[in-house]
Amino acid sequence: MHIQDGYLSTSVCLATGAISLGAVGYSLRRMKDSLGERTVPLTGMMGSLIFAGQMVNFPIGLPVSGHLMGGVLAAAILGPWAGCVAITLVLVAQWALFSDGGLLALGANVLHMAVLGSIGGYAVMTTVRKLLGGGFRGTVAGAVVAAWLAVLAASAVFCLEFRLSYSASEFDFGNIFTLMVTLHALIGVGEAIITGFVVSVVYQQRADLIETRQLAPVPVATSAGRFVAAGLVCALAVAAFAAPFASELPDGLDSVAERFRIAASEETVEGLFASYDQIPLAGWQRLSVSVAGIGGALAVFAAAVLIGRVIPAARPGFGIAEVTGE
Amino acid sequence: MSNFWDRYGRSVSICHRMPPALKLALAISVIIAGVAIPVRHWPAYGVLGCLVFAGHSIAGIPLGYLVKRLLIFLPFVSSMAISLPLSQGLERGWDLTLQIVFRGCLAFLVSLWLVNVMPFEQLLVTLRRFKVPAVVVAILAFMYRYVFVVWDELDRMRTARKARTFSGGSLWFRWKTLSQLIGMLLIRSLNRAERIHGAMCSRGWDGEVRWLDDAE
Repeated sequence: MHIQDGYLSTSVCLATGAISLGAVGYSLRRMKDSLGERTVPLTGMMGSLIFAGQMVNFPIGLPVSGHLMGGVLAAAILGPWAGCVAITLVLVAQWALFSDGGLLALGANVLHMAVLGSIGGYAVMTTVRKLLGGGFRGTVAGAVVAAWLAVLAASAVFCLEFRLSYSASEFDFGNIFTLMVTLHALIGVGEAIITGFVVSVVYQQRADLIETRQLAPVPVATSAGRFVAAGLVCALAVAAFAAPFASELPDGLDSVAERFRIAASEETVEGLFASYDQIPLAGWQRLSVSVAGIGGALAVFAAAVLIGRVIPAARPGFGIAEVTGE
Repeated sequence: MSNFWDRYGRSVSICHRMPPALKLALAISVIIAGVAIPVRHWPAYGVLGCLVFAGHSIAGIPLGYLVKRLLIFLPFVSSMAISLPLSQGLERGWDLTLQIVFRGCLAFLVSLWLVNVMPFEQLLVTLRRFKVPAVVVAILAFMYRYVFVVWDELDRMRTARKARTFSGGSLWFRWKTLSQLIGMLLIRSLNRAERIHGAMCSRGWDGEVRWLDDAE
């Protein structure tokens, strides 16, 4: 999952590095406010845990296997700011111990997994949780949806960075975007399932680790509220897919330049045919992307419901803290 | 695991004796050169490649280790790079694929050199010298201290799980048990963090990171 050096151009690496530096710097300040003198042991232990947890291989049935990424998980336990710092330092340590992920690309990796994963994931998680009325089901569903969307958002942002690194003539951006996002919609389902299970185990055993973060009481959602929530998340998911296609922002500049060049060389007829030629392809992309988006969203909701069904809600009075006598 | 991580970091060579800042600067400049030099100046890549292999041989890192790490690395970088020609019906874009794979391998080998001549604690000292916030260095040091402990705990839990369950089961079941393993590990780790925090407090910890050489 890590981006290696050589994928992205130096200027894109520098730009993502600057964004990540700003976000992590801000997270550092906010983290000290919320955790106080528990910052170092808690964040450090969370980092070690994510590091070790990423080494648990989940079989897929093929020769390949997947593993946890952990951005949403860290945010669920530590909050968005400390979670972002923990994942950032995991990435730094992975580079420094394994040379896993590039040095120049560290900024991009931090942006994808720590900033989008923890801060963005936390925002999605709390929103879904509030809409579902909190509690066990809401928390797990929030984590599941957030984990899926975080992976998806990371792949979409990576495509944009890739697009900015090379000139448009060297590849077909639309196809790469379709390929990457569809692939990551599947990878994201894995991450969502793992995150959902882990959060549900933690919630059952130590609800205080997650619940203490919830300061304001949440209103109990009605069935209509749930319907609205589900609709909202589906819309979010489809928007995450379709937004770059609808706006066509990255290709806008090129098409304008192309049009001017064509006008200058008076090859208007040829230009016209060229643009007609692309329409069926663009239509196919939009369709496949939308189908993938809706399918992925449904799969994630099915996973959330299944996890909620399989695991009974938390029982009070059974906590690991009592067992180990902390 | 510790014989896999920064495995040759504690051997002795000219590369290991270099000042840490110089190692870091060398590695970063070679990586930037590798990514930034346009393909039409391809002889420069040969020079960089020779430089990297010379660095590895001076540091005493065996070729077999490099090959083993490259074999793990190559599928990842090439699967990404292959999406370029794939996006245009496998007709064009192969040159860009080659470029990405080559640059990726070069940068990976440079990183590998740096990792193997610079032990983690040296990196921490260097980070402090470059005025990285003390809390960041402290968290990194804490992580490096406890990641082995957490890893050992995970190993024990895996052994216990193997001893108690039959192998196999449906994919869903295996994912569920493995996730529960991570969940329990998380709870145990946070309990450990609480104990460590208590021990730190009883020794006068107030959230302020202090280093011995700051007092001089």
